[in-house]
Amino acid sequence: MPRSLRKFAAGSLAGVLVLAVAGCGAGGAKPVAQDPKAPLELWTRTTPGGDGEKGMKKLAAAFEAATGQKVVVTAIFDDFETKLSQRAAQKDLPDLVLNDSSQLGTMVSQGIVREVDLGSIKGSDQLLESALSVAKSGDGKTYGVPYSAQASALLIRKDWRQKVGLAAPKTWDDLTALAKAFTTQDPDGNGKADTYGLAVPGSTKRGYASWYFSNFLWAAGGDFIAKQSDGKYKPAMSTPESVAATKWFRDLACTSKVIQPGAATMDTPPTNETFEAGRTGLYVVGPYLLPRFDAGLGKDKYEVVPVPKGPKDSTVLAEGGSVYLMAGSANEAGQNAFASFMISADGQKLGMAGQKAFNVQLPVNKTVDITAVRKDPRWKVYADAYRDSGRYAPSIPNWTPVRQDTADTINALIADCSLDVTAELTKLDKKLAETLGKQGVAAS
Amino acid sequence: MSVSEAPAATVEPPPAEQPGRGQWWSPVRRTGNRRAPGRAAGQRSRQGGKWWVPWLFLAPALILFTYFKFIPMGRALVMSAQDVRPYLGNTWVGTANYSEILGSESFRSALKNTVVLAIGQTFGSMLLGFCLALLVEGQTRKLSFIRSAAFLPVVVPMAVVAELWRIMYHPTSDGLLNQVIGLVGLGPSGFINDPDTSLASIAVTGIWRGAPYDMMIFLAGLAGIDRGLYEAATVDGASTRQRILHVTLPGLRPVFAILFVLAAVRGFRSFTEVFLLTNGGPNGSTEVVMTLIYKLGLEQNRLGVGSAGAVLLFLATLVLTVCVQLLRRRRTA
Repeated sequence: MPRSLRKFAAGSLAGVLVLAVAGCGAGGAKPVAQDPKAPLELWTRTTPGGDGEKGMKKLAAAFEAATGQKVVVTAIFDDFETKLSQRAAQKDLPDLVLNDSSQLGTMVSQGIVREVDLGSIKGSDQLLESALSVAKSGDGKTYGVPYSAQASALLIRKDWRQKVGLAAPKTWDDLTALAKAFTTQDPDGNGKADTYGLAVPGSTKRGYASWYFSNFLWAAGGDFIAKQSDGKYKPAMSTPESVAATKWFRDLACTSKVIQPGAATMDTPPTNETFEAGRTGLYVVGPYLLPRFDAGLGKDKYEVVPVPKGPKDSTVLAEGGSVYLMAGSANEAGQNAFASFMISADGQKLGMAGQKAFNVQLPVNKTVDITAVRKDPRWKVYADAYRDSGRYAPSIPNWTPVRQDTADTINALIADCSLDVTAELTKLDKKLAETLGKQGVAAS
Repeated sequence: MSVSEAPAATVEPPPAEQPGRGQWWSPVRRTGNRRAPGRAAGQRSRQGGKWWVPWLFLAPALILFTYFKFIPMGRALVMSAQDVRPYLGNTWVGTANYSEILGSESFRSALKNTVVLAIGQTFGSMLLGFCLALLVEGQTRKLSFIRSAAFLPVVVPMAVVAELWRIMYHPTSDGLLNQVIGLVGLGPSGFINDPDTSLASIAVTGIWRGAPYDMMIFLAGLAGIDRGLYEAATVDGASTRQRILHVTLPGLRPVFAILFVLAAVRGFRSFTEVFLLTNGGPNGSTEVVMTLIYKLGLEQNRLGVGSAGAVLLFLATLVLTVCVQLLRRRRTA
């Protein structure tokens, strides 16, 4: 390459870099000129074209009829957070985002949500305390308005259970026994050993393995991270309770072999299929799958019972959805109005209406009684589990790395039965300590 | 230029450089000098037209590349030195992202897996592709159908391929592949669900998908080999094995070099099949650099650290490509 050409190449590379730096620009949230008539762009994490989207559009239409405020609904399911980061990088966020409550820390640390002044959200005094607590970040400020809650319950193939002649499980031992019977006694009667006990999404994607396991970890008195008296956290995956819970869960995969094969690489869609297609007979899951299983499997084929009590109590994973008011919106009044509408008694009832996909799983408004809206007694199982034993993931600045690291370890343990549980959990605690330290919430 | 005009670059040395011709900014200068088989093409590029005309033709592509390739690449480079928080303002952290990712155990093991996977897929695809190419080489009309059929895996979307293989890899004895290996008394294997076999299973999927692509390039290369050489070898009493070894393989040397670069780059960046089949699990046994970057940057929203990983991957690919090119140039010169 002659020297002149080389100079030219270097020059153009420098030019590209300068452009790139200019493109990044100076950061910092600037106040945006407000326009109370500006249409609101809303993103919701549900399958595009599905019933969830239709329900959300119905809610948006009701809101528009009540306030004259226009809302444009976009449904996104796959890589929701990725697409949101891309919009954040362009500094052009949607006005409203409806997503899991546990995304709060991540969104706050990115600075893409604005703080919520509960005083300007009508009806926020009617919110359940537990639901409201997940909208508070570590610094005590509120970001986001919870509009829906859910908890886990146990789905059982009723026909299988009757065939093997066992009662609905009350304890972990009952659960193991039932899972074993489903695996070994050919409950579908096709003469082949092709059925399994517990359906587990054990993949590391989105931290599913950790998500699922939290039901059992907490019921055994264990924990991912434990809050100390100074408000900071210590890793807790190698405490005796956590180790015992992990060993029990791991034995399901390794010793009694009642978890479906291939669980270690399955995220939720293939796991749902195993239950739907009659390859697994037990599934711990939230209420949002009931419409799907009613249609695919048949309402009479399965039953919904509380998750059996663990060594300590019946704690189950509580989750929910929040309305996030995104930063940089030109219509903050509209954002507030929409959040107020979602938590109002009317909005909640409308969100629960219908037979298919519900935008509101369990109401967060104290004045709404679920049994008055939904006659189906299965919903009461979920409502009771949420009220009595529901527990949310803690609000640390960024919960995702904790969930990811624990999912990696749980995934490893159910995939490789030769690993030593205590050693792996001790390793995990070291990683968690690092993560907590990076986020500034590690107890000394 | 057609293939018949310039049979193979290795057989005939490239025409001598003509130094001092053309101006440095003209994009056609180098090709005009290096590749032109005769004088005609070399002269045509010098006749008439302003120096900016070729640039004008290149402009649409260059503008698109600038916007969709070079600017994002530049931004990734900038972000790799920042703590990225789009709405709070990015802060400069210098080399902290690099030292964090280089110091992390997971990055090193991901790098190791990536290299193993890239090597396995590259050589596996090349070997299988070469065998396929030898089998389907020729002019018969039926062969073109078989060639198209063999090429199918390349055009099937990766998501479909992954789902297909997930079903075939079902870890119990009634899984498709387990039934096959059961015939010879093996298995059942866990395939992608067993940390010991997961990486190899993904490599097999990659080879299955990559080999037909390599096959097509080999076929093009085979067509460029002088038939006379085969005839001469046959006359001299060479066996099929000897003909492949002493005529086909040397004739394909430039094809090997190109394929090696393409396959290695593809191997380094393999993401979709890993993401869809195992997402790095079980027990991190299939975590490659790309899935790690994805997890760091887009799932945990640590875009700065993720960018640092991406820049390192880019550098590694660049170094590899340049090395192969230099090696190739030295050999052909």
